[in-house]
Amino acid sequence: MTQKNGFDGRGVPCLRSLCAVLAQLAFAGTLSAQTPADSSYPATGPVSGYMDFHFNQPSDADGSLDFHRFVLIFSHSFTPRIRFVAELEIEHAIVEGLEEKGAVELEQAYVDFLLARRVNLRAGMLLVPIGIINERHEPPVFNGVERPFVDTLIIPSTWFEAGAGVHGELGTGLRYRAYVMAPLDATKFSADQGIREGRQEGAESNVRHAAFTGRAEYVGIQGLTLGASAWSGQSSFSIRRLDVPVRLGEVDARYKRDRVELRGEFANVTIGEAGALNDALRLLTGVSPNVARELRGFYGEAAYRVWSDGPARDLVGFVRYENFDTQFRMPAGFLPVRQFDRDAWVVGATYYPDPDVAVKVDYVVQRNQSAIVKSPNSFNVGLGWWF
Amino acid sequence: MINNGPRIPALVFLALALATGAVSAQSRRVIRITAERFSFTPSQVVIETGEEVELRLKSDDTAHGFRIVGGGVSVTIPKRGHQELSVLFRPAMAGRYSFECTRMCGAGHNFMRGVLIVRDPRTDAAARP
Repeated sequence: MTQKNGFDGRGVPCLRSLCAVLAQLAFAGTLSAQTPADSSYPATGPVSGYMDFHFNQPSDADGSLDFHRFVLIFSHSFTPRIRFVAELEIEHAIVEGLEEKGAVELEQAYVDFLLARRVNLRAGMLLVPIGIINERHEPPVFNGVERPFVDTLIIPSTWFEAGAGVHGELGTGLRYRAYVMAPLDATKFSADQGIREGRQEGAESNVRHAAFTGRAEYVGIQGLTLGASAWSGQSSFSIRRLDVPVRLGEVDARYKRDRVELRGEFANVTIGEAGALNDALRLLTGVSPNVARELRGFYGEAAYRVWSDGPARDLVGFVRYENFDTQFRMPAGFLPVRQFDRDAWVVGATYYPDPDVAVKVDYVVQRNQSAIVKSPNSFNVGLGWWF
Repeated sequence: MINNGPRIPALVFLALALATGAVSAQSRRVIRITAERFSFTPSQVVIETGEEVELRLKSDDTAHGFRIVGGGVSVTIPKRGHQELSVLFRPAMAGRYSFECTRMCGAGHNFMRGVLIVRDPRTDAAARP
């Protein structure tokens, strides 16, 4: 059947669904007026946040002390069902104009419309729901002074972007979120950092194309979390005649039982038309960025809680193996730089004098496939806390 | 359809928060719920009207809030390594009672929600998941 207008039979259910969502949205706004007994709204929560203070000693350079992250979290509930959350971060302690120092980042600033357990709406500055660390990055919740390499170079944590979408829980323990967000900027992709510098970060983000992202997560069994996430979006707005589709797929698992904690993650990024992108950027800048057509990384971590179920103090020892390559596959006519095919062993311990305070120490042995350039090892000490 | 507690009128409940050691030994059902950034496990619990259950709440990391919306329960679950918290809950009417974390616990705080499904054994007319 030839569709002559946009309102055939198939459109009616969609229209009904949209009306239902809008009706619930309206209801969410008036609920507090219907329940005058709850006088605790509106309510502004106390300021929360976390801090991350590091000492890093690479094997080939001077050591550094870095107040890596100073994060404040604000929240406000307009009604029981309309809530605002913001996360404001200062990275590397100082921000100066025109200098490569720190950064002030608005990592989250969204409003949640809590409609029902299955479907809720969220809009604003959102964390991209990819991987273990991006949405769960408070210092006491992961081992190691620095975040995993895979969660930095393959999944560009902390990855945040302006957008809107839905989230909810289906049945027992099956949760999801699905957002429409601003895409990545492919002109900022690079050989060593992959897609990391392509994040627009909600700063007048170009939305000539939209990106779609989502995550499904199963948390129905005590101690076990299984997750799968994806991102897909055209990233070509800066070069108008070139389409650069970027797709990221990821799976992860965490398991904790008694004193043992295990976690693993696998992530793969594909960049379409990477060869044409390199050629176009070479014409623009004079230098080819040698962007890959595929990036890949994975890691596995085992941790053992030395002290458990006793006093509030805990000591956790851990070992993690990571393998990550920002030039896993190259477009035709481009060769990979072998130093970007890397792996790392991270061995260390986390001491919790309180569950919200983590004293961390680790040693990182990093290798790459280059016969010329060596990756430095590093000794790291960190102090992180949540309040 | 919004199925939270505040829509159920004239709710009669018994809710009491106390340390585990002080709970008298009775034949009530014990339901253990563990809080961890950013989920409750289990996140869905089914009970019957008039049944008094003991919710034993425990955190695996930081302190979390625990509030049964419209159920008159709002407590703070202590941090890992501290005591469990017991809450007695006896709903009089069938329905769905959301519970949620009320203490900011990190980036995914608003995901920390669950539901108590209360069924009426006489009519079996309670809401289903």
